[in-house]
Amino acid sequence: MEYKYPADSSVTAASIPLPVGLTLPLEVRVHGRGGQGGVTCAKLIAALFTQMGLHVQTFGDYGSERSGAPVQAYTRVDRSAIGNRNKVYRPNHLIVLDEGLMGAQVLEGAAPGSLLLLNTHASLESYAARFEHYRFGVIDATAIAREQGIGSSSVVIINTTILGAYARLLGLPLTVLEKAYTSLGLGGDLVAAQHAYEQVRVCEAVQGNDGPGVSAPAISPLAVGTMLGHSTDIPASLRTGSWSNQAPVYSEHSAPCNLACPAGNDVVGFIQALKNESVQEAAAILLRTQPLPSVCGRVCPAPCMQACNREAFDGAVNIRSLERWIADHSQLELKPQTAQQPLRVAVIGGGPAGLSAAYQLALHGHAVTIFEAGPALGGVLRNGVPAFRLPHEVLGRDVERILKLGVEARCNSRLGQDDLLRLRNDFDAVIVCVGFGPALDLATKGENLDGVEQGLDFLDRVKRGGVSLHGNVVVIGGGNTAIDCARSALRCGAASVKIVYRRSRKDMPAIAEEIEDAEREGVQLLPYRQPVEFTGSGIVSAGVIAEVEAGPPDASGCRRPVVTERTSTLACDKVLLALGQKSELDLLPENWTVRDGRAWQGDQLLPVWFAGDCATGDGTVTHAIGNGRRAALAVLNGEAVSGEALVKRVAPGQIRFSHFDVAPPRRDKQLSPSALGGNFDEVNLGLAGPDEAGRCFSCGHCTHCDTCLISCPDGVIVRSADGYRIDGDYCKGCGMCVAECPRSAMEMQEKNHEVRP
Amino acid sequence: MTVELLSANHGAALAATQAARANRKGRGFCSGVYPITPSTECMEYLCQQKIEKGRVIRVESEHSAMGVCIGAASAGARTFTATSSNGLAYMFENCIAAASLRLPVVLAVANRTLGPPWNIWADHGDALTLRDHGLIQFYCADNQELFDSVLAAFRLAEDRRVMMPAMVNMEGFILSHTVAQTQIPDQGQVDDFLPLTDVPQRLGVAPHTLGQIEIPHQTEMHRWQHHLAMLEVSKVYAEIQNEFEAIFGRRLLDAVVAYRAEDADTLIVSMGTIGATAERVVDKLRAEGRRLGALRVRLFRPLPTDAIRAAYAGKKRIAVIDRDISLGLGGVLWAETSSLAEPGTVMQNYVAGLGGGDVRPEHIVKMLDDLRRREISGAPALMEAV
Repeated sequence: MEYKYPADSSVTAASIPLPVGLTLPLEVRVHGRGGQGGVTCAKLIAALFTQMGLHVQTFGDYGSERSGAPVQAYTRVDRSAIGNRNKVYRPNHLIVLDEGLMGAQVLEGAAPGSLLLLNTHASLESYAARFEHYRFGVIDATAIAREQGIGSSSVVIINTTILGAYARLLGLPLTVLEKAYTSLGLGGDLVAAQHAYEQVRVCEAVQGNDGPGVSAPAISPLAVGTMLGHSTDIPASLRTGSWSNQAPVYSEHSAPCNLACPAGNDVVGFIQALKNESVQEAAAILLRTQPLPSVCGRVCPAPCMQACNREAFDGAVNIRSLERWIADHSQLELKPQTAQQPLRVAVIGGGPAGLSAAYQLALHGHAVTIFEAGPALGGVLRNGVPAFRLPHEVLGRDVERILKLGVEARCNSRLGQDDLLRLRNDFDAVIVCVGFGPALDLATKGENLDGVEQGLDFLDRVKRGGVSLHGNVVVIGGGNTAIDCARSALRCGAASVKIVYRRSRKDMPAIAEEIEDAEREGVQLLPYRQPVEFTGSGIVSAGVIAEVEAGPPDASGCRRPVVTERTSTLACDKVLLALGQKSELDLLPENWTVRDGRAWQGDQLLPVWFAGDCATGDGTVTHAIGNGRRAALAVLNGEAVSGEALVKRVAPGQIRFSHFDVAPPRRDKQLSPSALGGNFDEVNLGLAGPDEAGRCFSCGHCTHCDTCLISCPDGVIVRSADGYRIDGDYCKGCGMCVAECPRSAMEMQEKNHEVRP
Repeated sequence: MTVELLSANHGAALAATQAARANRKGRGFCSGVYPITPSTECMEYLCQQKIEKGRVIRVESEHSAMGVCIGAASAGARTFTATSSNGLAYMFENCIAAASLRLPVVLAVANRTLGPPWNIWADHGDALTLRDHGLIQFYCADNQELFDSVLAAFRLAEDRRVMMPAMVNMEGFILSHTVAQTQIPDQGQVDDFLPLTDVPQRLGVAPHTLGQIEIPHQTEMHRWQHHLAMLEVSKVYAEIQNEFEAIFGRRLLDAVVAYRAEDADTLIVSMGTIGATAERVVDKLRAEGRRLGALRVRLFRPLPTDAIRAAYAGKKRIAVIDRDISLGLGGVLWAETSSLAEPGTVMQNYVAGLGGGDVRPEHIVKMLDDLRRREISGAPALMEAV
């Protein structure tokens, strides 16, 4: 039953001799930081000594920390099989991979005369006095390994390098490392080892009686030792933040609503102000860029809502109606700035683009005169948009706010080419905002019959009042004008209204909610249809409607509508055409050209800008407002009109939906009048309150929700003045705060590690 | 035969790999694995091996890992898995299933204390939770022993007279992660040593049920059969020691490993790597004239009562060191072997190394000083490994 040690066939025959002066058993202890390769370093040492026909044992001392945490590894070497199962408490050889760890704990148990090899940028002389009792070597293994590209630039792996220095200290030829390295697949690092072998500087031990004796720290009986107490080489004062190679920062990103708004409104800004501060604060933000909030809050197609990240969760925020709420419930007195050198600017056209340009200029303290062809300001807002969508007094409120800034309005002033030339001389700058040109025709037989009218002309007449219709009305077109015509026609007394559109309902450019409202009021949609002829004697009585098919895809993949021969006849007493408008600048003098929104006379740049539909043809009120503002700013800054810059747009996938409760959007209150005849009252009554603002995620903008602070496993985030402060001394760069931030208002950034002496 | 520098974890996986390959002409090998510190290295190594007619399946939990092994063994394939601590706890009911279904599964455990609170370091508490449920248990002290024991475990577990799971334990980190020179046999030698797996009740052509409902008397009979089979293990093991020596040229260690124990008056008893430290203390104190010996229990289940009784005979004082505790009683090894000592022996339990503390020679010397002062046995004492 007696125990027999395994036969010495566990060792291979010696292929290299023992280093001179080496005593056995040998105990080696390696101190490093996680990621430096300390455990493999010890294993390489073991592999080295196996070539001398000796027994070896090697292992690491593992903790629950990861990259950067202090790690120890041990190697024992002896002639006979090694039964010592404990850690190395009395090392003969100490290898320290990171000088930041140097301290009493690292040296513990090392007797005078022990070998100490230190990876450091510093010189031998700077350490010599401290370690005179050791046989001491220094080598900048990090610099060598980094240069050789071993590991990454922030976490350099130095094990294979420092062993070159170790071999030199042992008095072994460099070649002994070859087999050891190759056995672990590290043959490529022999060059680094060679550099260290050549560069290591050694200082022999000073003989003396007093060694640096260190006693083990006392732990009181029955007291539960702390985590730090277990590994006595982790001092509590160790700044764990120095281990990390990345750190979190608070960083704003672009909210998709802001990027989508053609007017350049700070959507996330005014919604958060409405939620957290007051409707007045929200109005202040909104009115910086938006001169007509009551209007856009009712008639904007709201690309912000289509871009809203909440759509991917439980429904887009009802942004349009929040803008309306702010407009309807705030009373903001705007104070224009005082301009150092006030300009005199002429704005031609009192529609949304002109009003917006005038507004911005007046806010900046400049003198503006609007020349409007019609009897009052507003453009398509006055003439085109029906009162049941935009009541007269609502438009008036927004216009009044603009005029109160000191803008002069000259109505009934239709201008021609000579006027433009004169204005160019009389004013410091001219901004032309005349909108679209004439409406497009169908070019169909019978278009000239009485009763076939351009939709825009009809809407203008309706707004001035006293229009009555009878019988069946057919509207041709699929945009907002067509919908406005259809719903107005019902209110003017039409018995039935049909909309004929050549593509599908889905393709209709009108605002989706407007199409739904029209259908609810009884308008009938006829998609994939186009009129080919109108018939009647003197006055229209019928339209010949052909079916339209989506034709084969063209080069761009678009399927052009193809009018078929299959027709039917539709009885109608009135036809309204809403096919869009063409761009026409008939007030442009002959030798002027327009390039990039500016007028040129030959090769001379003129102080004349173009804004709105006459320049860009975007076709919405909001685009016109944005364009008008940018033109005004261009006048002030002398720069070309430009769009908003994109800064890391927040995608839906970057919002942490799990942090939010499901809450469908608040819907607008709608009137459903039983009889529409003669009723032009506003149909959409807006939201019941501003709570919808609470649903805004605030994409990319910190709301001080404290999620980062709560998520931090080390508790190194605290509230500070206007936000948060992260303690860099102890932040380990785990990234939980950034991952948990519900709204992508943080980023992880790489820290650059330099070797510090 | 080659000598490789391997950790015990890797050694276990390599032994399992060679055993797996040895069944290539039989029903092959199938293993279910799941990682947990400190046994992860073992399954990682196994997953990287190419095994002819073998599959290693990474499942979603330890419970399923043993489930796969049960399925594999039920189909007559050779099987193996590795785990630790709470992973073993999660595997618990399936370990009992494997045992009670009398299926040969080799289980390498890198012992780690149970939690929470979380602690990744070693004590024997995890393996000992399965003490009573019919799995063979070995506790190893060095890399070669661990490798050899895993290899032998397949032979033992699959023996017709045994047919039950065999657990081979190594202390987490202290042994599992320690790298040392290990003799690795040739595949041909392993082929000779391990006959093809042959599970009598395996699922084959005729469908049948494994693990049905039974009435009390049937359970009684099955348990007793299992118990009697366990009592046969020592005899089978002795045969295997001879076979092993004939093929590999070295002898498997006995069920208990005595060190300078015959003429000792004081004995240090332990399991696992503490046994190696105890032997160093024996040498040190023998040089000072004290008659000290050590006994390392290598086979814990079935407990080699005869061998232990023989080793205990004539000793005045016995220190039983437990790297475990049965809360409310004391160390398990002490509790199990106390009755095997002669009346009048001072049997003192020292609980040391719970939660992975480093039990050093000076701790054992302190225990012996304490033991020396005792005239009668006392209550289990805690020796803090600080």
